[in-house]
Amino acid sequence: MTESGYRARRREQRQQYRWFWILLAAPGILWLLFLFIVPFYAMLAIAGGKLNLIFEQPIAIWNPLQWSSANLVKAWHDVAGAGAFDGPIVLRTIVYVAIASALSLVIAYPVAYFVARFGGRRKGLLLVLLIAPFWISYMMRMLAWIDLLQINGYVNKALALVGLPPVGWLGGLSFTVILGLVYGYIPYLILVLYAGLDRIDPALIEAGRDLGLGRARTFIRVTLPMSRQAILTGLLITVLPMLGDYFTNQLLSGTTSTTMIGNVIDGQLQTPAFQAEGAVLSLMLLLVLTIPMIYYVFATNRSSRSAT
Amino acid sequence: MHPREGWSEDGSRRPGLSRRSFLRGSAGAGLVAGGLGPLLAACSGGGAGSTGGSGTTTIPLPRPNHPVTWPIFADNKAIKSGLKAEQGNTLKLYNWVAYINPQSLKNFAKKYNVPVPQVTTFNTMSEAMAKLRSGQVNFDIFFPTIDVMGQLVEGKLAQPINHSYIPNISQAWPDFTDPFYDGHWRYTVPYTIYTTGIAWRKDKVPENPYTMANPWAMPWQAKYKGKVAILDDYRESVSLGLMKNGIFDLNTTSQSQIAAAGKSLQQLSSMTNVHIDNNDYTEVPSGQIWIHHAWSGDMAAAPAYLPKGVSPDVLGYWFPTDGKGPVGNDTIAILKGANSPVLAHLFLNYMLDLPNALTNISYTGYMQPLTAVTPQRLVSEGMLDKNLMSTAVLPSYFRRGVMELQLPVPTDVLWQQTWQTVSHGA
Repeated sequence: MTESGYRARRREQRQQYRWFWILLAAPGILWLLFLFIVPFYAMLAIAGGKLNLIFEQPIAIWNPLQWSSANLVKAWHDVAGAGAFDGPIVLRTIVYVAIASALSLVIAYPVAYFVARFGGRRKGLLLVLLIAPFWISYMMRMLAWIDLLQINGYVNKALALVGLPPVGWLGGLSFTVILGLVYGYIPYLILVLYAGLDRIDPALIEAGRDLGLGRARTFIRVTLPMSRQAILTGLLITVLPMLGDYFTNQLLSGTTSTTMIGNVIDGQLQTPAFQAEGAVLSLMLLLVLTIPMIYYVFATNRSSRSAT
Repeated sequence: MHPREGWSEDGSRRPGLSRRSFLRGSAGAGLVAGGLGPLLAACSGGGAGSTGGSGTTTIPLPRPNHPVTWPIFADNKAIKSGLKAEQGNTLKLYNWVAYINPQSLKNFAKKYNVPVPQVTTFNTMSEAMAKLRSGQVNFDIFFPTIDVMGQLVEGKLAQPINHSYIPNISQAWPDFTDPFYDGHWRYTVPYTIYTTGIAWRKDKVPENPYTMANPWAMPWQAKYKGKVAILDDYRESVSLGLMKNGIFDLNTTSQSQIAAAGKSLQQLSSMTNVHIDNNDYTEVPSGQIWIHHAWSGDMAAAPAYLPKGVSPDVLGYWFPTDGKGPVGNDTIAILKGANSPVLAHLFLNYMLDLPNALTNISYTGYMQPLTAVTPQRLVSEGMLDKNLMSTAVLPSYFRRGVMELQLPVPTDVLWQQTWQTVSHGA
C-alpha cells in the first residue's frame, strides 16, 4: 500500500472512531452541560443581577455585559470591610476544617493501612464494614449524635456512671462541631486511602525490609511516599465538602459561636433579599476550592509522569 | 392520633427543623453535601421574578388599622351560584408539606363521591408564588399566607369566592368574615392561626413569665448560659428584640428601632451563647434548652417528645394574657385557573365544618379559628395537654395581637441585614 493510501484509510478510520467517541462522551457532556454549566451560569447571573423590588426576589441578568458589581461589593465588605461579620467566620471555618482533616487523616490512615496490609481473607468483610456508614444518610448519622450527646443522652449518662458532671455537648462547643465533621467525612478518606495503599506492591515493602530497613523506616521511606497521592486525593475529597458544610454545625451546635461559612451562605439563600449575595459567597467559596483542585491536578500529572 | 404523628412517613420533611420553619422558608432540599446545595437553590430560584423591574410597589399593604378590600376585576369574576360540582374531576391542592390531614381528603372524596384530591407541596411562599406566576402549574386550591394577598389578587392568580357555596363561614370567628387583609373575605377563607411566645421548663427555671414585669426579656439571663434559644427566623427574632425593648410595632420601618433590636439580640448572644434554631418542640421537652422563643403549634405538640416518665407539667408556654403578642394566620384561596371551581368552593366549605376541622387539627397540630374550637374543646378531645392551654389562640388575640406583615422592600432588607449580623455572630 502506498503511503498516501495508508494515510487516507487511517483518516477514514479516525473519522469513524471519532463519532464513536463523541457518542460515548455524550452522556457525560450533557450531564456536565445541564447540571453544571447551566446552573453555574444561573448562579453568575443572579450574583450579577438585581433585586426585584415588588416581589423581593433576585432578578437574574443573563447578559454578562450588564452584570452589576453591587452584590460582589456588598459581599466583599461583609468579608473584609469595617464591621465585616463574615471575616471571623471565614477564619473559623479554615481552622475547623484544618483540625478536622488532620484528625481524620490520623485516624483514617492506620485503619486503611490495617485493612490493606493485614486484612487478608477478611478484606472484603472489613471493606463492607467501612462502607456501611454510607448506607445511612449523612443527616441521619448527625441526628444520631444528638441522641448520644444531648444533656440526658448516653454520653452524659456514661459520664455520670464514673461520677462526672454532665457536659453541654450541644451547647455550642467547637469540639462537637469538629467531631461531627470528622465523623461525617472520614469514611471517604478511609476508602481512598485503602485504594491507594492496597495498590502498593508488597514486594517493594519486602525489598525495603530485605535491604535492612526496620519496620518504621520501611514505612517512612517506602509506604508513606508511595501513598502520598492517596493522601492528597483523600484530603481533597474530605476538605472540599467540609468547607461548604452547614448541616453539621446547624444540628450539633446552632449557636453563633461556631458559625461556619456554609451557614452564612445557607442563611443568605433563605433570606430573599440576600440570595444574590449568597450566590456571590458561593462563587467565592468555589474559587477558593479550585486552588487545591488545581494543585491536585498538577501533583497528579507530576506523579504520573515520574511513574512512567 | 397525635398532631405530629405520621410526619416522618411523609419522608419529605427535613428532620431537625421544625414544621413551622419548614413552612416559613427552609430550603427543604435535604442535605446536599458540599457546595452543591447553594448552587441548586440558586438555580431553582433562577428566572423567577424577571417579569418586574425595580421600582416602587403600587400594591397596598393591608394593616389592621388600614384594612384592604381587594377589587373584583371584570375579567376575573366569581363563579355563578347554584352550579353542580364537577363530577369525576380530581381536585388539585397546592399546599405546605404535612399541612393537611390525608384522612380529611379521603373523607371529602367520600362525601362528594369524587376522586381523592391530589396535594402538591411547596417549601417556601416565594417558591409557590413564583410557580403560580409562571402560569406553568395548574391547581384548584392554594394555601397562601396573608402577606401575599396583594400579589395574588392584583396578579389575578386567585379568583373571587362566591359566598353562596360557603355557608360554613358562619362557624368561623366573626372576625374572619371581614379580615383586614381581605375585606368581606372576597378571595380567602381562614385556615390556621398561631402565636409566638416563650416556652420554658418549669422544673429548671424558677421565674414565671406570667408574673414578670417584662416577660419578653426572659431569655436575657446570663445564669442560663447555653440553655436559651431563639427562633431561626428573621421576622420572629428581630420582633423579639423589638418587644424586649417595649416596641410592639412589628412592622416598624424605624432604622433606630431595628438597630436597637439587633443590638439587644447581640447582647443576648454574648450573654447566653444563644442557640438559634426552630427545634422548640424537641429541645424543651428533652431539657436541652430551658427557655425557648417558641411557636404555639410546636409547643402544643411538645408533650409527645418528653422522655419517658417526665410529666407534661414541666412544660410551660407563655403568651401575653391580653393577647398583645405576635399572632399569625394562614388562609385558603381558589386559583383563577382552577379546573373544578365549584368543587373547590365545596372544599373550602368542607374545611370550615367543625368535625372536619377537628380531624385536620388532630394531624397538623395547628388550630383553626372556628367558634367551637375552644381550648377546652381541644383538651377534652385529647388534642391538647391542659397544661399547655396557653398555646390555643383566642378570638381576642386576633384583634389585639400584633402581626408580622409584609414590609416595604427596603425595610425588609434592613430587617434581614440586622438578622444576618445577629445570627452569624458579628
